[in-house]
Amino acid sequence: MRSTILVAAAFALGVAAARAETPADFEAAFAAEARRADPAFAGFSAARGQQFFGSTHGGDWSCVSCHTKDPSAVGEHVVTGKRIEPLAPAANPKRFSDPASVEKWFKRNCNDVLKRLCTAQEKGDVLAWLMMPGAGGGR
Amino acid sequence: MSNRILVWDLPLRVFHWVLAASFAGAFLTAESERVRDLHLLCGYTFVGAIAFRLLWGFVGTRHARFSALRFGPGASRRYLLSLLRGRPDRHLGHNPPGAVMIPLLLGLGLAIAASGWAVYADAGGEWLAEAHEIAATVMLVAVAGHVLGVMAVSVLQRENLVLPLVTGRKRGAPGEGIRSSRPLAALLLLIALAGLWLPGIAARERRLAASAQSASIAAAGEPATVRTGHMD
Repeated sequence: MRSTILVAAAFALGVAAARAETPADFEAAFAAEARRADPAFAGFSAARGQQFFGSTHGGDWSCVSCHTKDPSAVGEHVVTGKRIEPLAPAANPKRFSDPASVEKWFKRNCNDVLKRLCTAQEKGDVLAWLMMPGAGGGR
Repeated sequence: MSNRILVWDLPLRVFHWVLAASFAGAFLTAESERVRDLHLLCGYTFVGAIAFRLLWGFVGTRHARFSALRFGPGASRRYLLSLLRGRPDRHLGHNPPGAVMIPLLLGLGLAIAASGWAVYADAGGEWLAEAHEIAATVMLVAVAGHVLGVMAVSVLQRENLVLPLVTGRKRGAPGEGIRSSRPLAALLLLIALAGLWLPGIAARERRLAASAQSASIAAAGEPATVRTGHMD
């Protein structure tokens, strides 16, 4: 019985994740995943997200290396020099609209910066910061 | 029959190994943004090699020409049967299954290059990246089949088929070979390669040095102040 509920919950989560189309959907999916990983999960923090974004985590790169400190600004790829569109959904509506894209880039970029995958807590913190009013441009 | 004659010209040999190396290099640099520029260099090398091969199929030496390829289903069947019977029907140039690899690998290669360029140019959605990966994976399978096939034929035919792709020489009657290894065309190919890679590597070094410098300035300049944001 209990396992049935768990399976149903996991399925519902999977469906929710698969249907994520707005930044809020992604935030909800990250929150659900963070709660599963840690029952004491106490929400996301934009301040923690900003700090995470600027930290090199003991390596040489941070998220800022390519994306700049300003989530509404256009970034530049460190090794190719290629233009990188803003991360803040308010400045770039394409961000956090496609689950495959979000998963792919978190996986790749976390490996490049932290040499590991990011946790749902970390992803949610960063997203909370990117969604903060004022992060979206006009500054 | 025991004479060693020249069969594969030098540009063809250079092409083969450049294509193999650029494909392997592109696979190894596929997943990280730290080496995205190297992945691009491998891609340009790869598509340049394919463009060269398309040209060489018309103006190259005898066994390199597309007109010399025999890859109909009948030819492949006869050849495979001859191998199974233990009396390999030896081909001095490309054997029929080897000939099949040429349009297959060149076609897949063009698809990989076109989709890769489109991904980099942000010409479409995430599906383009998927298409790029799928085409590359299909080519990897084709390459594995090619390598296994070459190994199998080398054993069954008691003839090392890989070594001639380095030396250019195979056993054969003098009249069947080619006269020139076309060193000038090979030299032009190598110059083009150097013209791509040397500035590419120099640009990489410059960018990495600049980013290391700006990172150290940022680290020295300001303490990591965190703007207080609201808690979600």
